[in-house]
Parts: sequence; structure tokens; C-alpha cells
Amino acid sequence: MKLEYLFYIFIFPGILFTTVLGLIIGWVDRKVSARFQFRVGPPFLQNFNDFFKLLGKETTLIKNSIHSLFIATPFIAFGVLSLLATIIGVTLFYHAGFGGDIFVIMYLMMIYSVMIILGGSSTGNVYSSIGAGREIKLLIADELAFIFVILVPIIKSGYQLNLENIINFQATNGAFIGSASGILAFLLGIICIQAKMTLQPFDIPEAETEIVEGPLMEYSGPPLAFWKLNHFMMYVIFPFFLISIFLGGFTLSGLGILWFILKYWGIIVVMIIIKNTNPRIRIDTALKFFWKYASPVGLLAIILAILGV
Amino acid sequence: MLNNNLLLLILIPLAVSFLNIFLPTIIRKILVFATLVVTSVITVNLFNANNETFTLFSNTVLSLDKMSYFALAGIQLLSFIILIFSLKGVEKNIEKQFFALYPLTLAFSNGVVLSENSFSFLIFWGMSGLTLYLFSLLGKTKDSPQTAKKTFIIIGGSDAFLIMGLALVWFLNSGNSWSLLSTNIPLVDGLSYTAFFLFLIAAFSKAGGFPFHTWIPDYSKDSPIESVALLPASLDKLLGIYLLARMFTTIFEINVIINLIIVTLGALTIIIAVMMAMIQHNGRKLLGYHAVSQVGYMIMGIGSGSVLAFAGGLFHMINNTIYKSNLFLTLGSVEKRTGTSDLDKLGGLGKVMPFTFIMALIGALSISGIPPFNGFFSKWMIYQGIIEKTATLSAGYQIWMIICLVLAIFGSALTLASFMKFIHAIYLGKYQKRFSTIKKAPVNQILSTGLLSLLCIIFGIWAIKIPLNNFILPALQDSGLSSPQFIGTYNPQLMIILFGLAFITGIIIFLFTKKIKLDENYLGGMDSEERFRVLGTEFYNEVKEMTPLNTLYKWAEKKYFDIYNISTKFTISTAKLLQKAHPGQLQLYLLYIVVGLLIFFIVSLK
Repeated sequence: MKLEYLFYIFIFPGILFTTVLGLIIGWVDRKVSARFQFRVGPPFLQNFNDFFKLLGKETTLIKNSIHSLFIATPFIAFGVLSLLATIIGVTLFYHAGFGGDIFVIMYLMMIYSVMIILGGSSTGNVYSSIGAGREIKLLIADELAFIFVILVPIIKSGYQLNLENIINFQATNGAFIGSASGILAFLLGIICIQAKMTLQPFDIPEAETEIVEGPLMEYSGPPLAFWKLNHFMMYVIFPFFLISIFLGGFTLSGLGILWFILKYWGIIVVMIIIKNTNPRIRIDTALKFFWKYASPVGLLAIILAILGV
Repeated sequence: MLNNNLLLLILIPLAVSFLNIFLPTIIRKILVFATLVVTSVITVNLFNANNETFTLFSNTVLSLDKMSYFALAGIQLLSFIILIFSLKGVEKNIEKQFFALYPLTLAFSNGVVLSENSFSFLIFWGMSGLTLYLFSLLGKTKDSPQTAKKTFIIIGGSDAFLIMGLALVWFLNSGNSWSLLSTNIPLVDGLSYTAFFLFLIAAFSKAGGFPFHTWIPDYSKDSPIESVALLPASLDKLLGIYLLARMFTTIFEINVIINLIIVTLGALTIIIAVMMAMIQHNGRKLLGYHAVSQVGYMIMGIGSGSVLAFAGGLFHMINNTIYKSNLFLTLGSVEKRTGTSDLDKLGGLGKVMPFTFIMALIGALSISGIPPFNGFFSKWMIYQGIIEKTATLSAGYQIWMIICLVLAIFGSALTLASFMKFIHAIYLGKYQKRFSTIKKAPVNQILSTGLLSLLCIIFGIWAIKIPLNNFILPALQDSGLSSPQFIGTYNPQLMIILFGLAFITGIIIFLFTKKIKLDENYLGGMDSEERFRVLGTEFYNEVKEMTPLNTLYKWAEKKYFDIYNISTKFTISTAKLLQKAHPGQLQLYLLYIVVGLLIFFIVSLK
């Protein structure tokens, strides 16, 4: 355990960097969404204000529910997301391997959904349970396509599993997005992370107008603040992951900074546009979409990747 | 002769089992416990042993190498922990038989993994199948006799195939020896392939590989839960996969086509069983299907032809026995307290049985391959091994292999989904008043499941240090395989520390800012009544109703895919044909005799 690891997890690219950037991008999302709907939108520091205000509110626990699980889950999710941000961030910014490969990252990403489900359904609320059921269905829906997505860079890099090897391979051979299989997988990847972040049209588990934020319904105070924070952290983690496996990462010097901003901004803009132009779909539609339409495209991308296209 | 350690491992439990037929229950328990202490001590002492053998009539009957030691250690460990669970809480009316059968199972399982000679292997293998049948006869549901019959026919039938396989191996080995450890038969002609597949049927039936898996869900549903945790969940996996591992290292020389076939069968096992598990409404049956689906990973790992995946397959075998018996036992605790394993009737038990809930949750996360638990490590090794193997294949095979890999990874996501339903239906969801009087599980049950959960964590975080370096890598070395090289990175200790730091940061912020208030559920302003309840079992109705899965599910419910059903129908229809040939006319029978004689003469004249 080296001292710099503490820096990685707490400051950069871990907790502090990810939360601050996430909250800012969250503001961008809210602002742009507001402009889409001809509203003014919140001021720049609104997300920070929301977070700290929630920290000051009281936490309502449900009688006859499992309190420890209810309280622990948002913080476990926070820990896992910080870990993910550190693993992906260290590889991206320092070009060094750190802790886990691409399979590890994929499985860590599942933990967030697990925590949502456990935390939500520990309350015994009907809406939370319905939301939890939808969350897990959405997970198995997008996971199939997501597996295809992450296998494409593995195959194209000559069966490398370490994130830094995949980035280095792209540095010498060009980013994977420049190939047919790469672009297919990348587009599919954006749709998958849309579902993983439960943004429209895949906000099925939370669906405010229908099941009142589903699993988060009974949350209040600091735990709710952390659920919201977790959500904003994903605005950093998932795009960074896509950048590293398809867009060849970046270097933070000279033009590299511009490229970094462009790549990140590009993904965020696409996500916000998708979010604001699509209404919520039903969960069975989502399952059908991912299993019957998205996954065959993923399979096609795999076959193309193996054939070297 | 009686100072031979290997023989003692079989004889002591055997003797205790015969003694136990006559003794009162309490002494039976003590004796079985003592037996397991003794066999465990012997096993520990054998850790550094070299070339332990037992010879009878100048044939080596029993021998110990690192591979058999690994399986042997697994058997003692699991039998011991499950025994702790069984000490209190086995149904009173079957307790006597249970504790006579328990050491018997142990003796035969030890015998299987220690046998070097084909005959002793066959005898022990068959006998361990018999104990399975006897255990399932102890079940008390109305389907129990049917299930026992089904189990016995599938397992016993596979023994017949194993006999033919062993005979063929002896023949291909030019009749030299009956030893199983030094044959190395190359798969070149029809005979060797036949021998291979005969062995495969035996291994698959025992472990529960597709399509010979159908007895496991039924057995899980109808037999005493302790025996389910002991046999299909642990010992049978150890035995079946042990045979499979032997087939791939010492008995046969494998080629790429076989690798692809076995990996495909593994992937099919995973996906078919997990799809069936998702829609189950009975907790035991759900776990039974998962007991099948996990075998798929081991089959894939061992069959893929990569050393890394082979090690992963062996590791997954021991991991699976740990978390699967843990899950069965926690369900057993719940069932003993509430009287049902029907997921529709349970719910909200996490509040009244907190320890059982935590153990079940750890088991569920392990089986779904969530880091840092043990299931993830072995799955991760298997995936890497398959990637490694794929890199060496031609493009067509690569596509094939990658599709199997996708099915395997997706299978683990579906496993997670299925277990979220399982956990939700039993422990989460709405708290029910009728369960408010339920007590926590007895101490011995909590201890037993707690030990298993602890092993899940230890084997996950110190995977390389403890199980791999001490048991699995020596086993590979002994079987003549090279040492595996990881191609990915995964550092569980570092991850746990970093995760812990972030988690504690969050908790500290919470502790400084918390203001707690208690309230009822919010339900749109209405009173929260017990009838407003989400069961969890209906989570996957959308999957069940999706075309073309709905048709497949319907066919599966009609048992069109059950090999037992298919072969029963086949046997009955063949028997009907034969019946028609026997109408009871003397002239016809005379004609048969004459024709038969004629054929006999023609053949013998040639």
C-alpha cells in the first residue's frame, strides 16, 4: 500500500475529482435538458447545493425493515463507484495498470444495480420492490449487449484484457472506433451505458411519474444525497470507460487536453440528446430491444472484429 | 494392512456406518462427528505425503496424488461443515437413517477419489450413486418416490456407460493394466471417441451437465435439505468434475474439436439451467437448477484446453461446493422455521433471521460472481483461459468460442438476476406479521453457514495464496500441466482496501450528519396493508412471456427436454413393439426359433 494510492482514491482520479466533475456534468445535463424544454434551468452550483442540503435533512427509516441494509447500500455503491473511478482513471491519466482488468470492471459495474435492489427492497415498499424488479430486468437486458461491446476491444487488441494494454494498442494501431466493428460496438456501448445509468428512455426502474423513483422512494437525507451523488459519478465513470476502450484514451499535454475534452464532451452530448428526445419505454420493450435487436448487432460487431474489419 | 492411511479413510466411515445401524441416535451423531474428525486429521497429515498407495493382490488399488488430494480435502471439509448443520434439526423420523447413511456416503466418496484401479473406482462410484438413492428415499413429499426412481435410473444408467467406457479403455490400452492414471489414449478412431463419450456421460450425470442434469432439480425439491447440500451440491460435483479432470489429463489425449464440443456443452448447461432457474417458484428447485448451471463453468474450464481455465474449473468446483451448500443450508434454516420453501409464501424474513440472511446474501453474491467473493475469482480465471485458448484458434473457431464465452458471462448476469429474486422473495420485501414469532436459526446452523460464508470471502480475497498455491497448482503439476499465467490483473486485497476507504468516508459523513426518524412505508398516502406486497417471484414474467422463450418454457414444463422422460417414452414404445411380436401363438414362436437357428448357423459357418 503506497501513499500515492491514497491520493488516487481520495483526490484524483478518485472521490474528489469524480464527484466534482460528476456534479458539474450533472448540471450541464440539467441545464441542457431545461433548454430542450424551453425552461431556464438551474444555476451552476445547484447540484452542490442539493447535495449539501440533503446532508442536513433527517433520515427516515421504515419500521420493521432492515435498517442496516437500507443505510449501508448507498455507501457501498459509493465505495464501488469510487473504486471504479480510480481504476479507470489511473489507467487513463497515468497509463499504468491498476488493480483490475476489463472483466473486473464489468463485474464491479453490476454491484451498483445490486445495491439499488437490496437497498430499495429492504424497505418493503411496493413501489420500491417493483422498481427493484425492473432494475434487475434492465440489468439482464443491457448486460448481454454490453458483453458484446466489451469483447470487441478485447478481440481487436489481440486478446488483451488489461485496460492499459488496450489503450497502448490503440496508441500504436489507431483507435478502435476507426473500424466498422469498433463504431458498431461504440454506438451500442452508448446505448448500454444509457441503460446502465437509467437515463431516458431507460429510466424504467426509477420512473418518477409512474412508481415515484422506485427503489429510491423511501430514501431521504444523507443516504439519498449519496444515491444522487452516485448517479452523478456515473457521468464520469462510464464515458471514461468508453473513451479508454474505443477512443484510445488521451494524454494530458498540449493538444491532448483538447482531445480529452472533445471526446468526453462528445459522449456526454450524445447521451443528453438521447435522453431528451426519447420517452420512457416499457420494461418488456427494453428487454426485447436489447435481446432481439441490440445483441445481434453486437454479435455482428464481434464477428467483424474477429475477421479484422 | 490396517495402518494404511488411504484404506483407513474408507474403512473407518464404513465401519461407523455399519455400527450406526444398531446404535441410538445421539451416539450415532457423536460417532459420525468423531469419524469426520479422524478422517480430517488423516487428510491433513497426508498433505505432504508422497506416493501413498494401497496394494491388494499385487495391484495398486488406492493411490494418492495432488489431484485426488484436492478432491479428498474438499470432501472432508464440506462433509464436516454440513455435519455441523445436521447435528440439530434433521427431521426426527429420518434422523436414524440419516446418520447411518452419512458416513457411508463419506466412505464411498473417499473411495472414488482415492481409487487408481478401474474396478475399485467403479464399485465406489456406483455405491456413491446408491447412497444418493437412499437419501432421496428419506424425502417426505409426495413426489419423493418418483424422484428417487428418476435419480437412480439416471445415475445407475450412467454407471452402465461407465463400465463400458472402462472396458473400452482397457481394450484400447491393449489389455495391459486396469490403472486409470497412466493410459493417455489418443482420440483417433471411433472406439476411442466412444470410450471418451461413455466416460463423459458418467461424469456429466454425476455432476449434472447438460443433458443429464434433470435429476438434480427434482432431487433438490424432494429430498432432505441436508442431503441436498451434501450430495448434489457438493460431493457429487467433486466426484463428477474429478472424473472429468482425470479424463482430460491422464485418461485421454484431447484435441481441439473435443475442446470445442465440451465448451459448447458447458455453455449450454449454464444458459439452459439458469433460464429454468429464473422462473421457478420453489426455492429448492431454483437452487437445484443453479447447481446445474454452475457445473457448466467447470465443464467449460476443464474442457477448454487452456491450463488457466483448467485451474479455474477446479477452483470453481471447490467454490461452487462452498457457496452452493451454503445457499441450500440457509434455505434449510428458513424452511425449518417457516415450514415452507415456496417463494410465494415467504418474504420479509431478513428482519427476523438476520444471520441467515447475511449468509444467504454472501452465498448469492458469490454464486453470481460479484467481486471480491470466491465465485468471481474462479469465473475470472475461466474467462481468461477461454480468451487465451481463443487467441490460438482459427477465425471460425474463434467466433464459436467467443459465443460460448458470451453465453457464460451472460449466464452469470442471469444468475445474479435469479438470486436477486431469491433473496427478495425470502428475505426482503414486505415484513409479514405472521413471521414475527419466528426465531433465529439454531447456533449450529448459523455456525455451519457462517463457516461456509467465511470460506467464500477467504477464497475470494486470498485465492492465490490459499487454495491455488496449496492445492490446485500442485494438482496441475502432478497431472503434467504447465503452470498457468494470468493475462488479466485482479488484485482483491488492494481493491478491498480502496473500497473500504471510500466506504468509510461515506459512513463517516453519514454519522456526522445523521438525524434519524422512524415512520411507516409511504404508499401514496394510503395505509400500507399486507396484501399490497411484491413477491419477487413474478420478476421475470416478461422474460417468460417473450417470444420465442414462451414456447420453449412451455415445452420445458411439459418435460420435452428431460432426458429421463424422453428415454422412458422411448423404452415404453420399444417395449410395445416387442409386445406385438409376442401374440401368444405357438406357431409364431416356433418360426422364431427356426429362423434364429438358421441365422446362427449361417453366422457360425462363416
